[in-house]
Amino acid sequence: MTDFKVQHRDGEGVSILDLKGYLDAHTAPDLETAFQKLLNDRKFNIVVNCRDLSYISSAGLGVFMAYIEDVRKNKGDIKLTNMSPKVYNVFDLLGFPILYEIYKDEKEAIVKFRNAQKA
Amino acid sequence: MNRALRPASRPSRVARSVGEDAAADLLPLLEFSTIVNSSLDLEFILNTVLRTLMGKLLVARGVLLLRQADNALEVIAAKGVDASILKRTIDVPRIPRVLRMRADLERNAHPLTPFLREHDLHAVIPILSQHQTVGCVLLGDRPNRAGYSAVEKRLVQSVVNLSGSAIEKGVIIAQVRDANRNLDRKIQELNTLFDLGKEFNIGLDMERVVKLISFALMGQVGVKSYAICLKDETSMRLAASRLVDAESVNGLLKELCAVERAARVHDLLRHRTLRFAAANLLQSGIQVVVPMQLQNTTKGLLMVGERMRGGAYTHADLEFLSSLGNLAIIAIENARLFRAELEKQHLEDELKIAREIQQGLLPECLPEIPGFDIAAVNVSSKTVGGDYYDLIRRTPMEYVVAIGDVSGKGSPAALLMSNVQAALRALAPESRTLSETTGRINDLTCANTKGAGKFITFFWGILDVATATLRYVNAGHNPPMLRRADGSIERLEEGGMILGVFPTHQPYAEASVILRPGDLLVLFTDGVSEAMNPRSEELTEERLEEIVRDCGSDDAATVIARIQDAVQQHIEGAPQSDDITLVVLRAVPR
Repeated sequence: MTDFKVQHRDGEGVSILDLKGYLDAHTAPDLETAFQKLLNDRKFNIVVNCRDLSYISSAGLGVFMAYIEDVRKNKGDIKLTNMSPKVYNVFDLLGFPILYEIYKDEKEAIVKFRNAQKA
Repeated sequence: MNRALRPASRPSRVARSVGEDAAADLLPLLEFSTIVNSSLDLEFILNTVLRTLMGKLLVARGVLLLRQADNALEVIAAKGVDASILKRTIDVPRIPRVLRMRADLERNAHPLTPFLREHDLHAVIPILSQHQTVGCVLLGDRPNRAGYSAVEKRLVQSVVNLSGSAIEKGVIIAQVRDANRNLDRKIQELNTLFDLGKEFNIGLDMERVVKLISFALMGQVGVKSYAICLKDETSMRLAASRLVDAESVNGLLKELCAVERAARVHDLLRHRTLRFAAANLLQSGIQVVVPMQLQNTTKGLLMVGERMRGGAYTHADLEFLSSLGNLAIIAIENARLFRAELEKQHLEDELKIAREIQQGLLPECLPEIPGFDIAAVNVSSKTVGGDYYDLIRRTPMEYVVAIGDVSGKGSPAALLMSNVQAALRALAPESRTLSETTGRINDLTCANTKGAGKFITFFWGILDVATATLRYVNAGHNPPMLRRADGSIERLEEGGMILGVFPTHQPYAEASVILRPGDLLVLFTDGVSEAMNPRSEELTEERLEEIVRDCGSDDAATVIARIQDAVQQHIEGAPQSDDITLVVLRAVPR
């Protein structure tokens, strides 16, 4: 069975989700639950750290699409960081880099949120 | 790079001999050739060509077009003109094979002239590769409308000629790159289908299947809005959607079942019968409709709106959506069948319980009643009705005979009947009149039904063996038939209201009959008299009377067999729709 974990960390006004393992049709609902919980708690500044994400399928990408509008409507954003080239390739193939901000490192994404809050 | 070739400036140089001029330009030309030919990047090559020419001739406007696979000319690079010109295509079948000026072309009304005029371009330089024109460079006018000298014309053509094969190579490499990327995308599509297929195989419930389809639509296709519609027994319904105006789309579903294959809504506008639906869909932001088919029958529809990353839906996109739809509908159909099977199983379990309750109510063996030959039968139907009969010894010389039928079927009917049996068995031994006992049973039944619309038709009596007298009450049951030895038939109708509807206000009437030797008493339920043939014709009580009349001196078991035969003959193999119950008493000479 494929293994996938999503863990939530708090980064001072920014919520960080650490993804680990295989994100596919089978595990996509787990990520959905995590996003839903953040939205219920009205946390809209979200960084998704993909450092330990070994695979992502379209169903996994679908979850990001399902929440991005709601998050942005609430003046928040979903920023993605620390992708392996293999995972980035899937995002790239499906045209996600024009829809999402993708950073090499989590810190850059957090700084972006901070600057936006100051502004 | 554009400094590689210095502008052939001063007009005085034009006066120099051709050989001298060519020699002076040879080195920069060589350098230019090395640069463009050592690059594999088409964009870089084309921009270098344009920059070089524009720098050399001091023109402010330059556009480069290449022939596409569909033979149209497409703007690939442009400088000094509005960037919106990029990717524009024009339909120009033939490009001049040598450098020509706009004025020449205008005289011949060449198809390029409107484009040249529109963008204020004056020179057309063909790009040749292996003697084929693969595109052209269009340049604006010289400063002060100086025109192009013969030498300049030759120089321009040389520059373009030198880059011809580099451009061609760049085009091929760009095509390979595109093809690779398309291949990667195709693989990604297949991965998506494989990923979903794997998940669908686990045997999911319908909600989860629908959710996964929506994830795939958003993730793989990148749609913002979508609708997933599924057909149940009667109609097409929205199963899930992300639409601004789901209500108006809902109204179009019936019509859209006629869409035979994945189609762009824009194309459906030309469809004779679907064009109105298509116009409405476009207003709701739907761009593609995909039927989900199983064995060529549309079982559902996928509809998707604009993509987040923009761009029109291609044929390949439609193919992917069709594959996704057809894969999903199999999973949905499986989920539906699985659910139906579960429900059926549940129903069968319930019927089994009902049958067990009902069979438990019926006497295991009939008591011996002196002076009477008795037989009884209960054949329950597939759905299990609420029939019941009973024969109990009340005192050494008295026997209780009862038959009843509860409205409805299955466990509820069986449970209610078990209440009536319990009441009868508890109350019958007490020294009340039949009328009183029936009233009590009715009140108890009312307390149990609580106005749930259930009721019971019930006939019961006490047979006094010593006097051969049957005292009875008929609470709305089909009146039993008493066939006298002379062949006449009496019906035992005296009694009152059916049980379980209203508490007893008016006492039930009771009556008594004497059963003389040779008399035959037949108690039955409506499963006998209303047994139906395939043309929905009932056996009728009249016909049952005839059968009973014909029974002469048959013993009780034979009477039952003859009635059952008659029922079988009548129904002509139609399935038995209700329980069949018969209790027969024949008074025999002592």
